[in-house]
Amino acid sequence: MAGLSIENVTKRFGETEVLKGVSLDIADGEFVSLVGPSGCGKSTLLRIIAGLETQGAGSVRIGGTPVEDQRAADRNLSMVFQSYALYPHLTVGENIAVPLRMRRLNGVQRLPLVGGLMPGTRAVAREIGQHVADAATMLEIGHLLDRKPGQLSGGQRQRVALGRALVRDPAAFLLDEPLSNLDAKLRVQTRAEIAQLHRRLAATFVYVTHDQVEAMTMSDRIAVMMGGRILQCAPPDVVYEDPDRIEVAEFIGSPKINILPLEILPDGRLSLQDRALDLAVVEGARGVASLGLRPEALRLKSGDSPLRGRVVHSENLGSEMFVQIDVADLQERITLRATPEQRGALALGTPVALDFDLHKALIFDADGARIRRLRHLNAAASEVA
Amino acid sequence: MTRDWWKHLILILGVIIVIAPFYMMVSYSFKSPGEIDRGEGGFFGRQELMVDERCVKLRDPDRDDIAVAAGRFPGHSDSDIRDALLAEAQSDCSMRPVIFNYTKAFTEAPLLRYLLNGVIVTASIFFIQVIVALPAAYALAKLKFWGREAVFSLVLFCLLIPVHAIALPLYIMLAKLGLTNTYAALVVPWTISVFGIFLMRQFFMTVPDDLIDAARMDGMGEFTIVWRVMLPTAVPALLAFAIFSIVAHWNDYFWPRIVVTGNRDLFTPPLGLREFKGDGDGSFFGPMMATATVIVTPLIVAFLLAQKRFIEGITLNGMK
Repeated sequence: MAGLSIENVTKRFGETEVLKGVSLDIADGEFVSLVGPSGCGKSTLLRIIAGLETQGAGSVRIGGTPVEDQRAADRNLSMVFQSYALYPHLTVGENIAVPLRMRRLNGVQRLPLVGGLMPGTRAVAREIGQHVADAATMLEIGHLLDRKPGQLSGGQRQRVALGRALVRDPAAFLLDEPLSNLDAKLRVQTRAEIAQLHRRLAATFVYVTHDQVEAMTMSDRIAVMMGGRILQCAPPDVVYEDPDRIEVAEFIGSPKINILPLEILPDGRLSLQDRALDLAVVEGARGVASLGLRPEALRLKSGDSPLRGRVVHSENLGSEMFVQIDVADLQERITLRATPEQRGALALGTPVALDFDLHKALIFDADGARIRRLRHLNAAASEVA
Repeated sequence: MTRDWWKHLILILGVIIVIAPFYMMVSYSFKSPGEIDRGEGGFFGRQELMVDERCVKLRDPDRDDIAVAAGRFPGHSDSDIRDALLAEAQSDCSMRPVIFNYTKAFTEAPLLRYLLNGVIVTASIFFIQVIVALPAAYALAKLKFWGREAVFSLVLFCLLIPVHAIALPLYIMLAKLGLTNTYAALVVPWTISVFGIFLMRQFFMTVPDDLIDAARMDGMGEFTIVWRVMLPTAVPALLAFAIFSIVAHWNDYFWPRIVVTGNRDLFTPPLGLREFKGDGDGSFFGPMMATATVIVTPLIVAFLLAQKRFIEGITLNGMK
C-alpha cells in the first residue's frame, strides 16, 4: 500500500492538450474518484499513473518514489478496465493467477510441461492457487474458476477482473469505469461491494467514472475534472454543498442545480429578477453573476416572490418528487424537490411561487468562480421578502 | 426459393468446374492404361486383371533360370520350361489396375521420402513465418513508433511483388552461398511472409487495447504479450494463414524445381510427379495420378478437419 502524488502533469495528443497541469495527492488507503464529462482527461490521467501513457511534463510518485522510468509492469499497480480485458483463452482461475505467475515464477518456470519440472515451481504454484482461491472466495466466484470468460455474464466478468486486480498486494488499485458496462441494478450492488472491499483492504483506490452518483457514494474525496484540469478535489459532501466553481456545481448533483441570472448592484447588493435580495457581496466586480440553487433549497410559498411560474412537468419517484417550473423571463426551467404529499398543489399548469433559503444560495461571478464572502443584510429574516 | 434457382445453377456450374480435375485425377488413379487411353470404364474402371508388361520383361527367363527351374519341371524341354516360367511371371505380374497404380506410385519413386520432405519443408516454413510475422504484426498493429505507417506501406508494397520476378536473383544469391540442393534453399526464401504479417496485423487491430494494457499491468513484457496473449487469441487467423502457407508450399512445384537439381533425396511431393513423365514412351498416367492423389489427400483431410476454424479466421472476428 502506498500513497500517490501527481504534480503538474501535462499531456497532449497531437494538437489537443488533454491535461493542462494536474496536481493531486492521494493518501495511503484513500478512495479518490476522478469524475468528469467524457473527454475531460480523467482516463488519460489514470493511464499516466498506471504507466500506460507517458506524461508530457510533471511527475508521478508512488509511495514517495518517482516512477517516470518504470514500465507499467514494474509499478506494482493493479488496474480494472471498463471492458474487463480478461484473457479469452484462459479460464477464470488462470486469469486471476496471471499477475502472480508473472511475478513469482521466472520465464523457464512458466513454460508449459518443462516449467513443472523446475525446482520450486510446484510450491509456488500451490501458493498461487491458494491466493486465487482466497480472492475467488472474497468475490464469491469460487464456482466459476474453471469457466472461460466467454461463458460468463457481464457481472461475473467484472468480478473476475476485480479478482485479478486484488489477488496480489499492489501499491494502489486503479479502476477505469469498471461499472459502466453493467445494468443499473447490478451497478448499484457492485458499487456497494467495491466500497466494502476498499474498507476491508484499506488500500489506495483511484476510481475513474463519468457517473457522479458512483463518485458521490463511494469516495473519500472526489476530484472533479473538466477540460484537462482538476476544478475541485474534496469530500463528496463538500463538493456538493460548497462547490468552488459553477461547472462543479452543475456537474455534481442530480437533478442538476438551478442556475439563475443574478445582478450585482453598484452597492454590492444582489438582485434577482429586478428585485434586490437581502444579500450583498463584500468585494469584487459588479454586474452579471449567477445564483445556484439546489432543488432541495427551493420551497413552495404562498404570496409574493421573485420566482413565479407554472408547473410544466413533474416526476414522482415515490419517496420524493421533482417538479419542473417554467418561470417567465428565465430560459431554463427550475427544478424543485417536493414531497409526494404536495402533489395536490403541484398539478400541471398550476401557478406557483417559490422561495429559498439565502444561506443555501451559491453565488458565482461572471467567470463561474464562487463568491464566498457575502453579507446578509437582514440577519433576522434571511428569506426573500 | 424458386427465384434463386439461377444462383444455384451458377454455383453448381462453379462446383463442376472446380471438381472436374479432381474427379479425373482420382478416376485415372483407379484405371488401367488402356482404359485411360480409350476413355472408358466410368469412374472406377472395370478393375479387370491387367499384366504389368515391365514386370514380365524383368522376369524374362534366361538360360540360368531355366537350368534352375529344370528340377521343378522334370522331362520338359527347355522351351516348355521357358513358357511355363513366362506364364508364372505373367500371373505374378497381373493385378488390378488400382493396386498397380498405387504400388507403382510408392515403389517407382521414393514417394514416402518425398512426403517426408514436404512435411519438413512446409512445417519449417510455417514455423519460422509465425515466429517472424507475429511480433512484426503486433508492432505494426499495437505499438506506436516513428515510421510505423511507412513500414506498413512497405509491407503492403511487398505484397505486390510476384515471386517469379525475384526468383532469379534469389537463386543466384543461394547459389553463391552454396545453399542450392539443401533444405535451406527450399525454406529460407519463404520465411518472411508479408502476407502473414499483413493478415495477422489486420487481426491484431481487432484485439482491444485494454487487453494488452491489462497484460502490461499484470507484469508482461512486450514479447511475453505476443506469445502469451496475442498468439492464443489469434488462433483462428493463424489457422487461416496456416492453410494459405501450407497449401502454397506443399504444392509448390516452381521453386523446388529451381533450387533442387539432381539430389532426389530433397524432392518435394510435386517433384515426385515428374517421375512418371515418360518422355519418349508415353506417360504413366495411372501411377502419376495415384501419386497426385496421395499428395493432395493430406491437405484435403487437414482442411476438412480445420474447416470451421478456417472460416472463422477468414472472417476475422475472433473476439468481441
